[in-house]
Amino acid sequence: MICTACSCLCDDVFIEDGKVLNACKRGFEHISKFKENRAIPRVRGGTVDVDKAIDEALELLKSSKKPAIYGLDTSTVEAQRLAIKIARKLGCFIDDNSSFCLGDFVEMILRKEVPTTTLDDVRDYAYVIIYWGANVYQSLPRHMSKYTYYPRGAKRNRGYDEDRYLVVVDVRKSDIAKLAKKNAKFIKVERDLELVESFIMAAEGKAPKHIEVVEILREMKKSELNVLFGGLGLKYGLGDTKILAEMINKVNSYAPLAFLPAGFHSNMRGFNETLFEDVGFVNKFSFAENRSDQRFAFTELLKEEAIDCAVIVGTDPVASLPFDISRKLAKIKTIVIDPKDTVTAKLADVVIPSAYSGIESGGTMVRSDGVRVKLEPLEKAEIDDVYILKRILEGL
Amino acid sequence: MPLTPMEIYKLLPKTNCKKCGEQTCMSFAFKLINREKKLEDCKPLFEEKKYEIQLKKLQEMLKPLEKATETGLIVNEALCNGCGNCIVVCPVHVEKDPRGAGVGKGPTIADPIYRIENGKLIVLNMHACRRYGKSRILCVVCRENCPTDAISFLEG
Repeated sequence: MICTACSCLCDDVFIEDGKVLNACKRGFEHISKFKENRAIPRVRGGTVDVDKAIDEALELLKSSKKPAIYGLDTSTVEAQRLAIKIARKLGCFIDDNSSFCLGDFVEMILRKEVPTTTLDDVRDYAYVIIYWGANVYQSLPRHMSKYTYYPRGAKRNRGYDEDRYLVVVDVRKSDIAKLAKKNAKFIKVERDLELVESFIMAAEGKAPKHIEVVEILREMKKSELNVLFGGLGLKYGLGDTKILAEMINKVNSYAPLAFLPAGFHSNMRGFNETLFEDVGFVNKFSFAENRSDQRFAFTELLKEEAIDCAVIVGTDPVASLPFDISRKLAKIKTIVIDPKDTVTAKLADVVIPSAYSGIESGGTMVRSDGVRVKLEPLEKAEIDDVYILKRILEGL
Repeated sequence: MPLTPMEIYKLLPKTNCKKCGEQTCMSFAFKLINREKKLEDCKPLFEEKKYEIQLKKLQEMLKPLEKATETGLIVNEALCNGCGNCIVVCPVHVEKDPRGAGVGKGPTIADPIYRIENGKLIVLNMHACRRYGKSRILCVVCRENCPTDAISFLEG
C-alpha cells in the first residue's frame, strides 16, 4: 500500500501477519490507528445520519454570505478538484495549510522560477544534498534513507560516504545535523539571509561571509545534479522567496542546483498543483475577486472576521492554529468533513464523517516532488471526501 | 556509557586466583564482555563478604549484557523513529539485497538483519551481521547513522 502519513508517500509499506512492515513510526501510527477516535455525523451536538448532516451543511452554505473552504491537504486530488468547483460555484475563498507552510516554495517551482527535479533523480544522480531549515528525521522520517542521502542510485552506487556530500543548515544541531560527519558539512546559521547572500557572492566569485560556501560550490561543480531541500526554517528565516530564487539561479550559473520543498502533509502539493492548473495560484484564492492575496489566507480571514461560514476538510485548526485565531471559529458556522473526531469537529456545527484517503479510499496524491501516486487502499469505504463533496456540489 | 573490560576489571578481586579457569582477572573481564564467561564463574566474588559492594556494582553494570544480542547490539526501541537509515546503510543488506534495501526500499530478502516492524527497528537475523562469528569485524555503520542513538554496541 501507499503510506499517506506524510508527503514521502512511501510505496513499499505492507501488512503481514498483522504487522505493519517498512513504515516509519509516523506511518505506523497513521496506518494502525485509523479505526480509533472516529467522527460521527452530528448537527449542533446531536447525532444524526449522514444524509441529514449533508443537508444541514447545504443549508448553512446556502444561507452564508461569505463562506470559505479550508484544509484538503490529506484529501485526494479528485476531492480537491470537487472542492475547487464548489468554491467557484459559491464564489468563495479557498485555502489550505500551505499558506503558512511551504506553499510559496511550491509556487516558485510551478511558476518555473527555479529548476527542480524528482526524488527518484535525486537518488540516482544527486551529489551535493543540502537540507536547509528542515529536520526531516522528525517531519519525513524516511526521506534520507529512501530518496536522498543513503540509497545507492544508478550513478551514485558507492554509498553515502563517497558518493554523496551532505550539507545541513539549521539554527541548532538538529537530528540530521548529527549525521553530517565525513564528506559533509553542518552550517549553524543565525540569519538565513547572510548565508543566502554568501551563496550569491561565492557564485559571483567574491569572497563570502560564510567561507564554507566556497567549498560547497566547488563540490557542486563535480556533479550534474545537486539539490537543495528547503524546509519551514528557510521559509520563515527569509520571509521572502525572491532572494532564494535569485540565489538558486545565481548558483546555477556556476554549478547545477535543483530545488525541492521538504515537509508538509501527504497531498499539500496536490492542492497547490490542482488550484494552480485551474486558476494560476497555489493557495489563498478568492473566487469572488478572482485573485490570490495574503488577506485571503484562512488565518487572516479568521483574524479579520471576514467570513461567516467555513468548510474544514481533513484538518484541525483548533488544535493547530494559535488560540487567538482559532477562537474566532466560535463566531462563525463551521462544517467539518473529517474521518477523525478532531477538536474542531467536537466544536463544529455540522460534522460529516469521511474516510482516510489511502487507507479506506483510493485516488491520486502528489508527492513532495510533484510525482503523482495512485493510492492502494486496504478497504473501500462508501462515504469518502469525494462522495461528500460531490453531494454538496450537486445540492448547491 | 560503553562497557569496557577495564571498567569491569577495576571491580573484580584482581587476585588472579585462576578459580574461573582464566590466567588473569583481566582476561576474565574480556571474556565476560564477549559472554564466554559468566559472572558466577568468579567464585571469590560471591563467597567472600568483602566483595559485596563490588558484586552489586558489577551486576548492575552487566545488566545490558542480557539485553544485547550475540554481536553486542542493543536497540533502544523507545528512541527509534523507524527512519530506516540503519537498514539502507548496512553493507550486508547492500550486498544481498541490491534492488531492495540497497536502493532505499524496505528489505526484500527473506532474512534481513534488520527490519522495521510496526514503526520500530527489529533484529531478525543477527547471524548475517559482519560482527558475528569467529572472523568478525567491528562494523558500526548502523550506529553511526542513527540520529537518536537508538542503536548502541556493548564495547561503545
